[in-house]
Amino acid sequence: MLIKVPSVANLGLESIKVDVEVNLANRGLPGFEIVGLPDKAVDESKERVRAAISSSGIDFPAKKITVNLAPADIPKEGSLYDLPIAIGILSSILQFTVPDKSLFFGELSLDGSLRHTKGALLMALFAREAGFQDLYVPKDSANEAGAIKGVKVFPVENLFQLASHFLKRKNIEPAVYQENSDNLPAPAEFDMKEILGQEQAKRAMEIAAAGGHNIIMVGSPGSGKTMLARALPGILPPLNEKESLEVTKIYSAAGSIPPGGSLITYRQFRAPHHTASPVGLIGGGTRPHPGEVSLAHRGVLFLDEFNEFPRQVMEAMRQPLEDGYLTISRSKEIVRYPADFMLVASANPCPCGYLNHPKKNCVCTPRQVRKYQKRISGPILDRIDLHITVQPVDATEFSDNQKNSELLESSETIRQRVILARKRQEERFEGESIQSNAQMKNSHIKKYCKLAKEVEQLLRQASMKFQLSARSYMKMIKVARTIADLEGAPEITVSHMAEVLQYRPKIYESI
Amino acid sequence: MGVYPCQNSITMENVITIKDKRYPELLGKIGKDAPEKIYYKGNWDSEIFKNCLAVVGSRRLTSYGRKITEQLVTEIASAGVTIVSGFMYGGDEAAHKAAAEAGGRTIAVMPCGIDMIHPEYQEELYNKILENKGLIISEYEGKFPPANWTYPRRNRIVAGLSKAVLIVEAGLNSGTLITAEFAKKFGRKIFAVPGPLTSEVSKGTAQLIKEGAEVVTEARDILKDYNISLTKPNLAKPSLNIEGIEQEIINQLQKEPLEADNLARILGMSVSKIGTTLSLMQLKGFINQEGGKYYVD
Repeated sequence: MLIKVPSVANLGLESIKVDVEVNLANRGLPGFEIVGLPDKAVDESKERVRAAISSSGIDFPAKKITVNLAPADIPKEGSLYDLPIAIGILSSILQFTVPDKSLFFGELSLDGSLRHTKGALLMALFAREAGFQDLYVPKDSANEAGAIKGVKVFPVENLFQLASHFLKRKNIEPAVYQENSDNLPAPAEFDMKEILGQEQAKRAMEIAAAGGHNIIMVGSPGSGKTMLARALPGILPPLNEKESLEVTKIYSAAGSIPPGGSLITYRQFRAPHHTASPVGLIGGGTRPHPGEVSLAHRGVLFLDEFNEFPRQVMEAMRQPLEDGYLTISRSKEIVRYPADFMLVASANPCPCGYLNHPKKNCVCTPRQVRKYQKRISGPILDRIDLHITVQPVDATEFSDNQKNSELLESSETIRQRVILARKRQEERFEGESIQSNAQMKNSHIKKYCKLAKEVEQLLRQASMKFQLSARSYMKMIKVARTIADLEGAPEITVSHMAEVLQYRPKIYESI
Repeated sequence: MGVYPCQNSITMENVITIKDKRYPELLGKIGKDAPEKIYYKGNWDSEIFKNCLAVVGSRRLTSYGRKITEQLVTEIASAGVTIVSGFMYGGDEAAHKAAAEAGGRTIAVMPCGIDMIHPEYQEELYNKILENKGLIISEYEGKFPPANWTYPRRNRIVAGLSKAVLIVEAGLNSGTLITAEFAKKFGRKIFAVPGPLTSEVSKGTAQLIKEGAEVVTEARDILKDYNISLTKPNLAKPSLNIEGIEQEIINQLQKEPLEADNLARILGMSVSKIGTTLSLMQLKGFINQEGGKYYVD
């Protein structure tokens, strides 16, 4: 007897329909075989299914069982085929029909219960597109799948419950989607008002957050670079609906959505250490997995000690920094992951860290400093819009009034301004494929950032004096647009452009 | 230390021996310390050795030291005095650069063979010295690599060539003080620039002053020893039309170099407004920036 149970295979963010064909043959020696390019996790499914069925109080049939995952030439991975295989076997021995237009997905535990399984959101998206009405998923993954409207999601607790449902003894009620409320305020470690001084750096952070610009901070150890970066999530605008879905898809594919979790509504802050492997950062592996750059999509990728990162990793970031996505090519598959992140980098000015420090003496030779600074290549620096130097703050320089954190601007106040500026950008780019100023290509700049004569003159003069590259020239205009948006000004003025010059690339000017 | 052959090497061996008439007179007077042979690059003109002043400073020259070097050397070199130094980065480099930029002549004494440029990234300065009719000299031939012991040996030539030595900044136990020691030994006059006592690189100069070095506050202090009277050029800057915040910023920066953050705090203004003003002032050339701090020229 042959039974077909529909399920899916996920390739990157794409899903392909997979038919789980289960055949129970009376002839031949009893056995259990899975074919159709299963990986180790799929192959081990045999043992889980056998134990789960027995634990549910049903005798495991002593027949020759063959499971085929069709199409047979696509590699299958993961534990999601446990449920469709078990349902195929059960429907054969308990004599119920598997309903049409239903998809099955989930990992089994040996006691017959279903465990949270990665990829529920991708599955639900596929179900909607391919016209499946019902979706049977583990209870813990139901809220994730439920974020997609138009598909009925049945939360399954265990195998016995699902069998009862099909035998019409006790029905499972479709899940009601619950928005996660604990997601909303972005979790920042510090509030901006806790940071004393650093006015210019804070201002640069605000501009970066408002326009989605990349930023690099250069400063001595202890000057507060990391603190500033960690405070950044608190001033980021929330994700809009479309962005939220994009981000959740990546997290679903990576299996990073917790049980019971749902859409990600705040911007992610990823801070990989510099010893992370290239594959971990960029993504890849034999089955291409999203890397940190993709997990930071629409959010922040914070690279502390930027010049300690291997050159290979830094250069690999050029494509996502420019295009907003990353193509991972492997012999068996080519996967494209979105990676449109805001890069926040921090670096020391020299190997000892104390170049230009007001109190300590630097012990590096100019040669060492040069070598150290050259570790960040020109093309990468060119793709960073805002460059700031962060000097250590001497608390004794501040009056009590200035030290009072209640009088300093809080992250929330800044965040409101950032949200307003983002709204202005979204309105401007309505109908375009971009949402923020940082994403503007040259054609957009021509269209949306017409410069008045005196502004252009100022920029020309500055690019001669500070030897700016053509790319930097364009970056300046983008950042000036963001400053104008923060102010609510319709046109870029001389003062906007002059402020941008404060954040020009200057790492090599010090020597 | 990396060294590499210089690009514009001259194939003909340029060498002056101690027996040569053209051998610098002052250098010959230092007795057994005088080098047997001097290899050189550039045009050997005995005139260049007539009025020499050694200008040496710490490798870790501060922005203050750099500014003072530029000021003094520009005036002294324009007055026709040859500036002698050791081509090292920091103080030496600042002295050579200021002299060449002022159109004056300068002699770089190398710690390595004559066919080398050391440090190699100062090739631009090397060429600039030659372009301005300066000299590159060394007692070592060919591609002799610099070593720990060649630096102090080089300093004796720097001191030996010069009537006087100007120490801009020096740490205690530094190479700069070695040059001063040689100058003392050879009976040459020592000038020292006073600096803040909190600075590591002012401790050496402070010690020299204590021991009797002459304090320098302006170029005239040195030039009078060379019997050159400086007709003070009208240095009064053309009155700039500066008003309001720009004037306030300049007033603050004249006291000490500051960062944008400090200025915003002192003047009680938003940092974006300060940033805007600073950028415009920098473009107009009123102020300059180094290591994150702004200063007035």
